[in-house]
Amino acid sequence: MSDPKIPMGATQTPAPSAAPAPSDLIEPRLKELRSLAHSFALSEGNLFLLLAIIIGMFSGMAVVCFRITIEWIRLGLLGSALAPPHWRILLAPAGAGLVVAFLVQKYFTAARGSGVNQTKAAVYIFDGYVPFRTVIGKFLTCSLAIGSGHSLGPEDPSLQMGAGIASALGRHLKLSRDKLRLIAPVGAAAGLAAAFNAPISAVLFVIEEVIGTWSASALGAIVLSAVSAAVVMRSFLGGEPMFRVPSYTLGHPAELLSYAVLGVVSGVLSLAFTKIIAYFRPKLRALPEWTFYFQPAAAGLLIGFVGLRYPQVTGTGYAYIDQALHSQYTWQILAVLGFAKILTTSLSFVSGTPGGMFAPTLFIGAMIGGAIGGLEHHFFPQVSATVGPFALVGMGTFFAGFMRVPITSVFMVVETTGSYSIVLPVMISNTIAYLISRAYQDVALFDLLAKQDNLELPSMEEQREQIVLRVEDAMRKPDLPPLQAGDTLARALESAATTTEEVLLVRFPTGRWAEIPRKDLPAIVEAHPHETQLREILSTARLPVLHPDQRLDDALRFIQGHALLPVVGRAGSRKLEGILSVQDILDAYQKTAP
Amino acid sequence: MAIDSQNIVSRYLQRRVLLLSLVLLALLFVITASLARSYHARETGLAAEWQQTGNTDLAKGKPGLAIDDFRNSLSYGPDDPEVQMRLAEALLADGRYIESHSYLANLWDQSPGSGPLNLDLARVSIQMGDVNQAIRFFHGAIFGSWDTNPALERRKVRLELCEFLLAHRRTNDAQAEIAGLAADTPSEDGPLREENGRLFLRAGEPVNALTEFEAAIRINPRQSQWLVEAAQVAFENGEYQKAETYFERSDRVSPSAAVHASLLLVRDVLGNDPYMAGLSDDEQARRFWRDFKQGLDRLRDCAGSGMANLSSSSPAQDLQQLTKDGQELQKRLNPALLARDPETRNEAMRFVFRVEDTTAKVCGPGTGFDQALKLIEARHEGSNS
Repeated sequence: MSDPKIPMGATQTPAPSAAPAPSDLIEPRLKELRSLAHSFALSEGNLFLLLAIIIGMFSGMAVVCFRITIEWIRLGLLGSALAPPHWRILLAPAGAGLVVAFLVQKYFTAARGSGVNQTKAAVYIFDGYVPFRTVIGKFLTCSLAIGSGHSLGPEDPSLQMGAGIASALGRHLKLSRDKLRLIAPVGAAAGLAAAFNAPISAVLFVIEEVIGTWSASALGAIVLSAVSAAVVMRSFLGGEPMFRVPSYTLGHPAELLSYAVLGVVSGVLSLAFTKIIAYFRPKLRALPEWTFYFQPAAAGLLIGFVGLRYPQVTGTGYAYIDQALHSQYTWQILAVLGFAKILTTSLSFVSGTPGGMFAPTLFIGAMIGGAIGGLEHHFFPQVSATVGPFALVGMGTFFAGFMRVPITSVFMVVETTGSYSIVLPVMISNTIAYLISRAYQDVALFDLLAKQDNLELPSMEEQREQIVLRVEDAMRKPDLPPLQAGDTLARALESAATTTEEVLLVRFPTGRWAEIPRKDLPAIVEAHPHETQLREILSTARLPVLHPDQRLDDALRFIQGHALLPVVGRAGSRKLEGILSVQDILDAYQKTAP
Repeated sequence: MAIDSQNIVSRYLQRRVLLLSLVLLALLFVITASLARSYHARETGLAAEWQQTGNTDLAKGKPGLAIDDFRNSLSYGPDDPEVQMRLAEALLADGRYIESHSYLANLWDQSPGSGPLNLDLARVSIQMGDVNQAIRFFHGAIFGSWDTNPALERRKVRLELCEFLLAHRRTNDAQAEIAGLAADTPSEDGPLREENGRLFLRAGEPVNALTEFEAAIRINPRQSQWLVEAAQVAFENGEYQKAETYFERSDRVSPSAAVHASLLLVRDVLGNDPYMAGLSDDEQARRFWRDFKQGLDRLRDCAGSGMANLSSSSPAQDLQQLTKDGQELQKRLNPALLARDPETRNEAMRFVFRVEDTTAKVCGPGTGFDQALKLIEARHEGSNS
């Protein structure tokens, strides 16, 4: 009978005369474990990609549950009609506000706000750490707030929930710190993609607003998670775009002018909306802490009063955006709805009610866009399209001005409507709104909110606008031409006598470069005859080269260990454009220092 | 060795967490699926409920309420083309044409070949004053697809289009449409042929109208209304023999004083028209003479009625002149001369027609024989011109 402690298949050895060493007992097991582990071996990089898919699936399903919960709550509190009975619309947001405030103050303090900055904070401050309690808190409080009619949206909370789920998985899998930092944006993209049914916009938003760079390692995981989240969401809630729009064709090039007007108006209004939030939010936050329990309820009551006349401005308002896109309102009503939504969203947001700004921004944009379109069509029917296309363009335009994400806004309009034909007006209008917003509001909304919360988060917009120093900004002309590989040692000695540089650069016919430190020259001369060609001495040495358009940050990495490096053109490395030393780099940075 | 063991343990932990994640994923999938299923069921139920309420409100003539109902329905089932269509119809009924047009245009993008959709768009276009667009959509509806009874629906659309064209005085277009309608009408359907006939009449095509009425009569020869209509059109066209036939048949099937009077009038025309083809010379001469005598009688009656003396108008003076001319003619004319001399015949008939015209102005329209003479005049002038 075999020893039960010895695994099946292992050779049974005779019992040793002496007691075996502990290492001898462990070794076979370790061997077995090692072979098993190798059979499923996954590098951290591959594990991360696999994890991105899993995160996407988790986030997709969480967002589906979130959206359904919001709808169930809405049905329960407000009823099934788009225009709820008056008593419900008056009481539901206020009552829910009380409960939400209690939950936030007592149990889920991190659930306050939209969720975008919290995700950024996780990346830049807390090494990718988003407490799972925040995910639960966000789910409960946001679904209650939005479902009861508070003027907020589910997208930004979905983003934060995705980040939270990703963070929890990453922690349990004991990922490295680098990967943990990266995992929150991966989850954020998944959450947003599922909430919007717009994976491209989600990826772009996370890159434009959260991580700020197009790193290949991050991009792969972000795309995978966004796609898997969107697939999961579509399998449960359907693959149709968020809004159904009538077909659109640009009738006349002059129509673009009317969209430019929309860009100007949306830019100004988005600016005003940002300023309202920036002004009132700290004022309410400065009130005594006990008022935090009542601020969402008070905001809810005021929203209820507005909702008595205009129920369209409560909740997410998707159904009404759809109606605006189908030219279902006159321009006067659209204008009123746009301004009323600015009011109700400001109330909800500044009162600290958890919920997102994406949906309200789209709503305001659609209404303002439709109003401008209707007005222009009234006066210039030949040049201007009807209300619907303007409402469509307005969504993206206001979003671009308010969120300051111009690229995301264009793709978002295309993805949420499934209509590509509108892209030209969207691009023009969005750019104008974005530029106006930038010109008159230095700090973007999310950066502003971070500052109000005493968080020093990097501004992606500032990073994009930073001046990038390049090699051509720091390089200088050499004081003598470089030596050739065929030159003799005697020629090198002559050059060394006429230059102040620490090294002599040597060029090979193949385009390879090498260096001879001046201080080493006497020793070389002693070891070799004067007529020795330099190629014999520098047979294996290879010096890195720089190009004028390379970033100085990159040049710093190459220059380490060298006194200076040759700067050559990209067309051919034989032509010396200049030289660059560490001191040159430092001088360039010094010159551009603020 | 210690680091190696730690790595292996860490990898084992990772695998366990991954496996656990997959289990959780499966669990979450089940929860999400059941949540989604129950929500979709609720959504479908609510969409149907609101649609039903909307239909009821629309049927009650409350389009304003129906609009809200259909919008509520669409918020739970935004892709339901039937509800979208009903909403568009409610908006149309409420006079909100632009909104209705927008919804319909969206639906049209998805199914440009839908007959009902094109019809609604045509109606909206009419309300928006875009006649050409309306005609385009009418044609889209005529050639589009219909779920139930397509032939009948297409005919209804064409009828609506014809009415629209006639109302907008686009007679040529209307005539073309009615011709199309007639071509598509089943030959055995009497009521439809009769309907075509009426449309042809309204479009100013009495010949085609008579063809359609006659086709209808061939299907049901005892339909008195159709017989009367055919007789009247034949009468208007100057086809008195046909008119007599149809009036006579109608009078037999369903006697009425009006039809009988018309029949007598037609008979008067047919029995006294001296220009009618195929008459013998004797008969023709007899008719000329009879008509002349009737003209003199009519002149006498009118001149003696006192009406002529009351009036100092130009027709009254003409009457006096006619009396003088009549006396002269009476002296010269006799049946033998009329039978011989065509110029005298014409002179006699010119006199008769002048008498009928002038007495109609002075003493009011004639009846019976005199009315027949007026018709003979019209017929004769028509054939001359």
